[in-house]
Amino acid sequence: MNTKELLMQLSNLDGPSGFETIVLDAIEPMLAKVCDRTWRNKVGTLVGEVKGSGRKKVGIFAHVDEIGLVVAKVEEGNFLRLETVGGVDPKVLLAQRVKVYTKKGTISGIVGTLPPHLQKEEHRARFPDYDKIFVDVSCDTAADDVRVGDVCVFDVKAMEINGKVCGKALDNRAGCASLLLAAESLQRLRHESDVYFIFSSQEEIGGPGAGSIAYELELDEAIVVDVTHANVRQSAFPTIKLGEGPVLSVGPAIDSEFYKRAVETAQRNGVKTQIEPIPGRSGTDTDQVQITRIGVKTLLVSIPLMYMHTPVEVVDPKDVEETARLLALIVAE
Amino acid sequence: MYLRDLSVINGTSGDESRVRSFIKQQIQGKVDEVWEDRLGNLIALKKGTKANRKILFAAHMDEVGFMVTNIDEDGTLCFAPVGSVETQVVIGKQVKVNDSIPGVIGFKPIHLQEKDQLLRPPKFEELRIYIGAKNKEEALRIVKIGDYVNFVTEYRENGRRASGKAFDDRVGCSVLMDIIDMQQRYENDVYFAFVVQEEVGLRGSAVVVEQVRPDVAIVIEGTIAGDDPGLEKDRWSTHLGEGPAVTFMHSGYVVNQKVFQAILSVAEKHGIPYQFRRRTQGSTDAGRLVRTGPGTASGVISVPTRYIHSPVCMIDLEDYANTVRLIEKILEEGEVFAK
Repeated sequence: MNTKELLMQLSNLDGPSGFETIVLDAIEPMLAKVCDRTWRNKVGTLVGEVKGSGRKKVGIFAHVDEIGLVVAKVEEGNFLRLETVGGVDPKVLLAQRVKVYTKKGTISGIVGTLPPHLQKEEHRARFPDYDKIFVDVSCDTAADDVRVGDVCVFDVKAMEINGKVCGKALDNRAGCASLLLAAESLQRLRHESDVYFIFSSQEEIGGPGAGSIAYELELDEAIVVDVTHANVRQSAFPTIKLGEGPVLSVGPAIDSEFYKRAVETAQRNGVKTQIEPIPGRSGTDTDQVQITRIGVKTLLVSIPLMYMHTPVEVVDPKDVEETARLLALIVAE
Repeated sequence: MYLRDLSVINGTSGDESRVRSFIKQQIQGKVDEVWEDRLGNLIALKKGTKANRKILFAAHMDEVGFMVTNIDEDGTLCFAPVGSVETQVVIGKQVKVNDSIPGVIGFKPIHLQEKDQLLRPPKFEELRIYIGAKNKEEALRIVKIGDYVNFVTEYRENGRRASGKAFDDRVGCSVLMDIIDMQQRYENDVYFAFVVQEEVGLRGSAVVVEQVRPDVAIVIEGTIAGDDPGLEKDRWSTHLGEGPAVTFMHSGYVVNQKVFQAILSVAEKHGIPYQFRRRTQGSTDAGRLVRTGPGTASGVISVPTRYIHSPVCMIDLEDYANTVRLIEKILEEGEVFAK
């Protein structure tokens, strides 16, 4: 499978925080092919172990979960009210098709909108927030199966846009794809470290997925792979560009020696990288992993991604491949 | 029913050729005459057995969409709405430029938005379409200013409900095509006008009366429902599943009483469920037909449609079927209808 197809396949899988089983079930067989053994921990994190000489333990993390929604109320006429799982911009929800996972199957719904003909100034001036947003599931004959607590995701299929991949959940399935590719190429490389490929749960809500496994494995080093905002101009920060390679972060959440080593490895092997300064919390699993047990030396590698937390996130497969190449090179040293 | 095919065809106002070709292909041979006029309307005639009176049915082929208005240095596209679309329904959607180039409408990620941006609807000039081009030069190789843009929405049916894009007014087009498919001859000459540019000011229908000179006209629409938690119950316009909606008045037109009453009496005579369109906002081609030439007494019958002018609309298929039945029975009335 090429990278583009892998990204599209992973994007199309549904797995909001705490509901990652479908994604893990798809990833585990792929991971098992390129690892010595795989297992899942108590909070739904998947691990693939590749033994080295045991001199050092390195974990490479990517979170498998995605943002989503949960049914908070079922109203008469097959209308649902939602709460968010992670940061879902209400602006991307209106007139969007969604899928609801009930105990019996998947239900198709539409986030309703008021037609312009019936809008008044109050409607035009302000987006509906989650107090007003509703899902219409009357278009599904199984609508009565929906219960409070059922999870809900964007109903979109990934597509290709001029060589880039566009879809939901590429935050962080792009990271997951790079781990799978890195594990594959690591098979052809000599490495002393024991390497753990970790597909962690519940990152989007700051959950226990990454911290729990870092504790269990007693890691020496961790590389967290996530996504970062591409093609957005932020005054006083470098603009990260799509297609210009993996992003290495600097800041308190990252071990500065580890960072230097990564930069040198990239330069020596011709991997083009970008730099992102993070002056405080990184908002990734790095924050949690770093302070586990006696401390873990961390590195944060990010894949440039446009329109984060929307149904139309965009990544460049080349960035994913280069990230994978860099990961394998770093752990093989 | 042709809605499945019609819904996914892209045909923004001014760019209806694909819809027109499809309809023409389907109805050719089933009518006595069919022609395209100067503005792009497709008009068909089924001759009557008495031919003293002409009845016209009209549905519009166009849908709301967008047009590329400029191309930025970074290769993204500026765009403006064609017809009435709010920015509220466009963020995070897949689109197609010029019926071929895939693109998306993104927005600044929630993490980077200022607090006041979260619920403030942006203006169209703040939005861009991303087509994967690195810069303006690369974009210009595949798109140009003036290209039309449409939402990409799959058509779905499940039980009594159908959902998809452009139901306003492909629903009307499909209803008329179903009537044509019955291949019946009635007393009246029956004209079917599939018109262009309704969404940008009822423009196509303005040249139909001159060509047809109908005695009476009926416009078939997919109309606002609003029967959802977005509005207080007493402000709902039509209710899905309660039958075709009959209009007594809309923006710019109080429906001719003779036509209005005639529609109701046909429905009642045949036990066809119907409802009134209980809000008067919005307009239809009836408002134009009554204003052109000598003026034509026109009525409006609609299939209640939720979430129109958005990427995904919804209808009840029983309402659709009852709309077809109502028109069939109107035609069976013959010359006495609304006379």
